[in-house]
Amino acid sequence: MRTETPIARFWSEFRESRIAVAALVVVVLMIGVAVLAPLIAPQNPYDLANLVLSDARRPPGYVGSSGYTHWLGTDAQGRDLLSAILYGLRISLQMGLVAGAFAFAIGVTLGIAAAYLGGRREAFIMRVIDLQLAFPAILLALVISALLGQGKAQLIAALVAAQYAYFARTAHGAASAERGKDYVEAALSTPLPARQVIWRHILPNCLPPLIVVATVQVANAIALEATLSFLGVGLPVTEPSLGSLIANGFQYMLSGRYWISIYPGLALILLIVAINLVGDQIRDQVNPRLKR
Amino acid sequence: MLTHVIERILQALAVMLVMSALVFVGVYAIGNPIDVLIGPDVSQDIRLDTIARYGLDKPLWEQYFTFLDRVLHGDFGRSFVFGMPVLELILSRLPATLELTLAAVLGAALVGIPAGIYAGYRPDSPLSKLIMALSILGFSVPTFWIGLVLIMTFAVELQWLPAGGRGETARLFGVEWSFLTPNGLSHLLLPALNLAFFKLALMTRLARAGTREVMLTDTVKFARAAGIPESVILRRHVLRLISIPLVTVFGLEFASTLAFAVVTETIFSWPGIGKLIIDSIQSLDRPVMVAYLMLVAFVFIMINFLVDLTYFALDPRLRKGRA
Amino acid sequence: MTDAPLLEVRDLTTQFFTRAGVVRAVDGVSFCLRRGEVMGLVGESGSGKSVTGFSIIGLIDPPGRVASGSVKLDGRELVGLPADELRSLRGRVVSMVFQDPLMTLNPVLTIGEQIRLAIEAHRSMSAAEARRRAIAGLAQVRIPRPEATVDFYPHQLSGGMRQRVAIAIALLHRPKLIICDEPTTALDVSIQAEILAEMKELVAELGTALIWISHDLATVASIAQHVAVMRLGKIVEAGPTLDVLTRPQHAYTRALLDALPSRARPGEFLLRGGGVPDAAPPARKPAAAAAPVQGAPYFVADRVSKRFESRPRALRALGQKLGMLQPPPAVMAVDEVSLTVPRGEALGLVGESGSGKSTLGRMAAGIYAPTSGTVRLEGLPVMSEGAEPKKLTTRVQTIFQDPFASLNPRMRIGDGIAEGPLAHGLVDKSASGAYVRDWLAAVGLDPAFAERYPHQFSGGQRQRVAIARALAMQPDLVICDEPVASLDVSIQAQIINLLMRLRAELGLTLIFISHDLSVVRHLCDRVAVMYRGRIVEEGPAGEVYDNPQHDYTRRLLAAVPVLPEAAA
Repeated sequence: MRTETPIARFWSEFRESRIAVAALVVVVLMIGVAVLAPLIAPQNPYDLANLVLSDARRPPGYVGSSGYTHWLGTDAQGRDLLSAILYGLRISLQMGLVAGAFAFAIGVTLGIAAAYLGGRREAFIMRVIDLQLAFPAILLALVISALLGQGKAQLIAALVAAQYAYFARTAHGAASAERGKDYVEAALSTPLPARQVIWRHILPNCLPPLIVVATVQVANAIALEATLSFLGVGLPVTEPSLGSLIANGFQYMLSGRYWISIYPGLALILLIVAINLVGDQIRDQVNPRLKR
Repeated sequence: MLTHVIERILQALAVMLVMSALVFVGVYAIGNPIDVLIGPDVSQDIRLDTIARYGLDKPLWEQYFTFLDRVLHGDFGRSFVFGMPVLELILSRLPATLELTLAAVLGAALVGIPAGIYAGYRPDSPLSKLIMALSILGFSVPTFWIGLVLIMTFAVELQWLPAGGRGETARLFGVEWSFLTPNGLSHLLLPALNLAFFKLALMTRLARAGTREVMLTDTVKFARAAGIPESVILRRHVLRLISIPLVTVFGLEFASTLAFAVVTETIFSWPGIGKLIIDSIQSLDRPVMVAYLMLVAFVFIMINFLVDLTYFALDPRLRKGRA
Repeated sequence: MTDAPLLEVRDLTTQFFTRAGVVRAVDGVSFCLRRGEVMGLVGESGSGKSVTGFSIIGLIDPPGRVASGSVKLDGRELVGLPADELRSLRGRVVSMVFQDPLMTLNPVLTIGEQIRLAIEAHRSMSAAEARRRAIAGLAQVRIPRPEATVDFYPHQLSGGMRQRVAIAIALLHRPKLIICDEPTTALDVSIQAEILAEMKELVAELGTALIWISHDLATVASIAQHVAVMRLGKIVEAGPTLDVLTRPQHAYTRALLDALPSRARPGEFLLRGGGVPDAAPPARKPAAAAAPVQGAPYFVADRVSKRFESRPRALRALGQKLGMLQPPPAVMAVDEVSLTVPRGEALGLVGESGSGKSTLGRMAAGIYAPTSGTVRLEGLPVMSEGAEPKKLTTRVQTIFQDPFASLNPRMRIGDGIAEGPLAHGLVDKSASGAYVRDWLAAVGLDPAFAERYPHQFSGGQRQRVAIARALAMQPDLVICDEPVASLDVSIQAQIINLLMRLRAELGLTLIFISHDLSVVRHLCDRVAVMYRGRIVEEGPAGEVYDNPQHDYTRRLLAAVPVLPEAAA
């Protein structure tokens, strides 16, 4: 019998779900495509010199003035939609991942600190978190981005503010449960320094539920960013995310120029569904109550 | 129990106070509303006069206490844009949002919970897999995009249903409601469907997760060993056991749907408070924003409170100790 | 009626389809049961005894299924019967009682509702009539005040009462056969004795046949006329209880009996426990600890109490201060207990659940700080005082009950053993690998296992790792909190032998906490009996067991089921 690390064990279980593996492949591919967008996109949508107004709002398959075929059509500014989607994907992912990372760091620190400290400090931190959770994320993000104005950093701040509390609550719940387990008591009664108990014992064992929340929250952040951009308080039109692309196309939808909104929407949905499918499989795997 | 209720009420009051301060400071840091109030070509005198009239020249804390004093007398100020009392404005828009939200949440629960229980009861059947696939989709697809697709399909292409507005309304208890007229109902259908989509997915997933877990417990095994039919086990044991998380989510989702109506109302030009808040954010109509946020906070606290009380009804373990 | 058996099981095979392949949990089991007969089905975990029970009643969940064989109940074949017909038999002709009544009863329905659902499964009845039947059913299983209990929720009843409710539900329709799956394992020994006695009377009175599934030979011996011993899905030996237990034919049955501490002389290595040729533990690092206070006794817990109270919320606290509200009654887990342990002694701390023995152990181990009183080792406090007490010494270490919970699942066991000694300078980084390997060898594990993670080990192996981890800290006093309670008897014997050997080799002082009186008798020089937070009796093990003074001790000892002795 060889040494089997918990990660290897996790992966061998994950591999059994073909849907989850396919979804993971999609997520990795989309991240790859987004990273490589400047290399593979047919057109740089940010370069205004490339845009020809007579090419605007052309249907899929239209051959543009530069002799290039716009497979997904063009948008209102005459941008190649495929290129705009690739770049938009890049921005959406960037927003989702950066916001998710910050929310993770802040939330997990607060949650674990609360669980470890206990007493009044725990009660206070969790009270604030609960209060915030009781307030709808979209409204919070809406007000904060209205407050801070448009821009990437501002949007990320709004997303983090709307999401860190979910991480905090999950981390707190997991850490409180782990804190009461024998192996943590064993470590404390050795005695080991508090720092070591938190980093080497409590935190690694809180990771599974946190990873589940992280997948859901990254997906949510991407959707939330798109919604905010759609409502006009997200990113500016000059650097469109998938959400702003959809928003830009909305007004042309009623006149039958569906592609400007639909294709970015499909890309967005593919990404979010894939992330959620991966998260779903992980959730089932880490749920102790489904183990027989 | 009684101390619990008193405690919650005191807590709610404290939260409302904190919220009012946060909302006030937050909202008043956005932009300069004076540009909204008056045109750019008015004289400096009128400008100063207007600033003084709305108290905008006072320090922020003084404005806050003036505001607080007024709120306690039921006065949320006047809308800069509509020029009418904010409370009246919001109350006139509230029924539209309420009927939209209720239709969406109730519809989602009535369809989602049975579907979820079925999917949790027979996790391997093809229908369950279909339900779960749809729920993943509903969970993932942003609400605004579904709204667009709904409009494009049913309003533009098929032309079955109207794309926006409330349609005809009828009066009940002195309030105009859309769901009372056939025309209004046809206007309500698409936005309610749109808003229900996410909730439906959520309820389904929650009911399924709960059912799956409960089905594996010894409680169900013991009931089976006593020969209790499966339908009775589902209705009497499982439904009762999963009702606690469901009620929580139902309550919280009802409240968050009120907020999420922002998106749906924007897309379907539904004249509710969600549309109002987006408009007022864009036009910097501070009193409306403040009042709206306070209202949402209030609704949230009330619903949390009700959910808490429901726990006592549903979970006997919270009610009394060991006899 | 004829002499035809009530239950006839032939070549029953139940398979589980797992990732690792097909597992035959029950592998060709055959036996017969006459009307009104009580049969014991014993075996260690994984022997297939529970699966046999579930196979008979037709409640094998996917991915398992009854692959072949026949189960004839009252002449009727149950294997392959349509689900609905099988359901109509369950609860009416054959019923089942499970291990943990806390898990089987629905927490959000009253006892009465649950009984009514079980009644309505087979006959319709008015609500008033159902209630009357429910009360009668509760009275039958000797539940006091059944008219009140019928409106209770499960959490309002004690464990023994809950199990009586489950038995009442199983008896509702006067079934011909009841299958009990470890029905007293989750209960205290005194409650177990009551349930055993009542069950015996009930089946005799009603003429019900009973299959009593248990890991505990002694409980089975006290209720069953016949016994079947299972191992790896097969029945290895079956026959009248007295014959099987006094003149076992099969080597496995003999091994099971030999592994029981109650059958060995106190202090001797248990037969079949194996493990004497294990390597010697590594040498201690010379003591660099603070000098002991001269003349102080070795280990002293002086008038220690532990009170558990929920912190009142703000408003309630204010109300209490103003005298408007009563503070909730605090739970006194340990109530002014004093305990002295001389160097080198093994003290057994026995008691039932809720007696405070674990809490006292945790205070001795420096896990809980006492609410009042002091705990000292050679005159030095084990924990610091103040609002956030910290453990001060490494000389007291703990071995926990559940080896599945006490090892960090995300840490290689070698790292887990080394981390304490490294943090306290007992060993330096370069030598830690060898140190860990020596300890693994000393507890009878392959030193190469250091690289593995806990999930790759069995329960017994994990407990060895936990022992190595505690002893690698080079303690003088070791608190053992039910270290063998969750292990099978044969594994239990190995761990007991290991502890006895290491104690002798390292000159350890032990506080051994257990609910199992026979294990304590075997291992300990002295015992202290705890009851409701206090020590009610204390003395040399032999004296307390042979001549108990306190009433509670007498009751406790009388409740322990005893194996029949072979007429020598």
